[in-house]
Amino acid sequence: MASGFVLRSAPGVRDAFFVTFIMMFKEEWRQNIDFAKRRRIVLFPLLVGLFSMAVTIGLRFLVGSGEIDPWADAEAARETFTWAELRSGLHIGLFLFSLGMGSFAFVGRAIVSKRSGGKSYLLGAPALQPLNLQTTYLAYYVKEVIFYVVMILSPAVAGMGAAIFLQHYLSTTTPLLFSSLFPLLLCLSLTLGQGLVLSFSGSALWSRGGIWSWIVPITALVLAAGIALGTIPIENAIAGLWIQEGRLIDSRILLFAIPAFSGCLLLAWIAAGWLPEDFEISVSSREDLFLPIHDRLTFIPAGRMRLLVAKEIVDVLRSGTLFKMLGSYIVPLLFLLFLAWMADFARFPIPFNLLSYAPFLGFFGFNFYSWLNGIDPPDHYNTLPMTVPSLLKAKIITYFLLTTWIGIIFMLLMAWMLDEWSELAAAMVVMIANSIYIVSLSAWLMGLRPNKAIFDAGIMAKFWVATSAPLILLFLLSWSQGDTAMLENWSQQVSTGGFDAEAKVLELEQRASTDLSGILSICGILLALSFLFLRLLDRKWGSTPFEN
Amino acid sequence: MAADNSSEVLVKARDLGKRFDEFIALHPLNVEVRAGELFGVFGPNGAGKSTFIKLLTGQLKPTTGGASVLGFNVARSPREVKTNVGIVPESESPPSYLTAAETLEFNGRLRGLEDLESKVEYWLDWFGLMDKRSTLCKDLSKGQRQKVMLASAFMHEPRLLFLDEPFVNLDPIHQRKCRGYLLDHIAKGGTIFLCSHILEIAERLCTRVAIIDHGSVLAAGTIDELKDREDESLEDVFIRLVGTSMEEIEGSEDGLTEEE
Repeated sequence: MASGFVLRSAPGVRDAFFVTFIMMFKEEWRQNIDFAKRRRIVLFPLLVGLFSMAVTIGLRFLVGSGEIDPWADAEAARETFTWAELRSGLHIGLFLFSLGMGSFAFVGRAIVSKRSGGKSYLLGAPALQPLNLQTTYLAYYVKEVIFYVVMILSPAVAGMGAAIFLQHYLSTTTPLLFSSLFPLLLCLSLTLGQGLVLSFSGSALWSRGGIWSWIVPITALVLAAGIALGTIPIENAIAGLWIQEGRLIDSRILLFAIPAFSGCLLLAWIAAGWLPEDFEISVSSREDLFLPIHDRLTFIPAGRMRLLVAKEIVDVLRSGTLFKMLGSYIVPLLFLLFLAWMADFARFPIPFNLLSYAPFLGFFGFNFYSWLNGIDPPDHYNTLPMTVPSLLKAKIITYFLLTTWIGIIFMLLMAWMLDEWSELAAAMVVMIANSIYIVSLSAWLMGLRPNKAIFDAGIMAKFWVATSAPLILLFLLSWSQGDTAMLENWSQQVSTGGFDAEAKVLELEQRASTDLSGILSICGILLALSFLFLRLLDRKWGSTPFEN
Repeated sequence: MAADNSSEVLVKARDLGKRFDEFIALHPLNVEVRAGELFGVFGPNGAGKSTFIKLLTGQLKPTTGGASVLGFNVARSPREVKTNVGIVPESESPPSYLTAAETLEFNGRLRGLEDLESKVEYWLDWFGLMDKRSTLCKDLSKGQRQKVMLASAFMHEPRLLFLDEPFVNLDPIHQRKCRGYLLDHIAKGGTIFLCSHILEIAERLCTRVAIIDHGSVLAAGTIDELKDREDESLEDVFIRLVGTSMEEIEGSEDGLTEEE
């Protein structure tokens, strides 16, 4: 070499991994506190812990008087729900959540393509630094797992521990044992890691294009159908649940958990290798789409709003995210459809009906709204004579234009499946009112940054209360419209009997028509609140810069 | 595009070309850059300069031909190339959620630099960023972000620098300081591959230049070799080569005036 210049070796995988992982963890943390204040981020795990503690104390009402031994058969303690059912619910919920959060092969490609924009992330570092995508994505995967374990799972399990601890000072009892907490955390972490890695693997293969664009969704559908039909037992499909089902005794849990975690890491490493390796960009000319779309939106008055909606639709179409966005909206709906079929098929002792599912269709609109905010950085709007609320309203309109037809098809499908055509009109009203409400609420609370609001304790608490209250109310009222013969009157018993409450067959005569009026009145309130949120957008976001 | 001297070839491209679907970003070209050269690639906006640099640093894969940098095959060993060169891209920013100091630490640790702390301090000071060391990169001004990118490229003292519009957004003081650094780098035996559309840089710094347009090399050589006449400026050469006459430029100005 010339004088003074040294030829260096490229960094080894281990060194590159640790350097990148540590910096990515900082990056993630700062991304979150950039959106919310540090205090609110720290409060988020506390909120999760408190919620978990409250639920743990409430477990007594669900599983009866027996204590939960994680390795033993809890059938003996059965009253309304078995511990096994709750455990499955916990793992399945977490697994679905992690499947949703794990598709970061898509996110990565978007981040790489945005390196030249206002924001740059470490996932794009391999373009300039001596890093390969495989190491970078492995670091990203590990960072994701640890971040969720630290921010969600650990506080949740700590909350359970607090509930057990409180038994000594309050007259409460919980069916959980201290000894069950560590295995629970370990198993939940494994479920999370598995869901993330499976989703990442699928998205990595899918991003290769070609035949993989077909193989991945078909495989996912076959697996989902196998699980739904019971061909693949769910407890065998989710490793964390399999351990907790008691198939392993506690002394062997680590013997299984360590290789299982290693397997997840190995799969993440392999999947990262499937990602297209170069930072290719596509340069091609396209036919003009903006004006043709703008001219078709005649039902929106000509002017700024029509222009913005047209631009949002062009973004969705040209970014290639339409399929993914619709997927993120349709998959939960398919799950709901499956649930409807299962509830009907298995003759659940709760009168689920078309009106029970309608509020949830609206609720899933949040996913779609999040995607809409992740396509194009809005910074360039700062140079134009407009404000953030205009863009938020344009996104809400775009959401309705692109998703309402799906919701209507699903309601029709459910009405056909459940043979409940008489409730269709009311169910449509409930679905649309909830959709409008949830998306208006999201826009008002989170603005252009819904993805970053997830760890803001203040926002999430408001979002949780504001969404769950009407959802639960509508859900419970909907039961009055179905077959109520087997309805068990929990709430009345709990209010009169307290901790000694027992489930009994409902004795009150149902007044279905009154309750339908109640349902429609709630929808009216939701629509009024939506209108209020839209009016308040200017006050909350009127003077903020365009940034997400 | 080969230099006349016999020193070591650090950058060698053979039939290196890039096509994006129907659009040809860079027609197959051959180039050699030798040790001690400051090789400049100039051309109008969208001429293919950045694509050229991205192909040579493994950021893009070529559709034809290949290249070697510092003896490494770029397609096969992009990590080795990136370890040993400094790259300043045209428009990329440092990681938004790392501070200026952390960005340098990250880059330095990836390359296993010794005495990293003092190197970080040195380069932050050199670029006048000491008071911004703990500021997130997203909150820095464009010029400050460019300084972080330059410091990242310089701090491991690579033999070969790939610089794409390196002086953009820099204040005059740091433009001058950087020019001095680059000349010093060449004097020490270093090599620079530089892309720009600012011709003044070529006249002040470059030992050899290539002018490209629409993905094709129009001419290459020393500045004197490119001139038809002794009194011809590099701007005149540039305009002549890219096929726009002074009359056209002046005519378009007239047209603008008439419309007004």
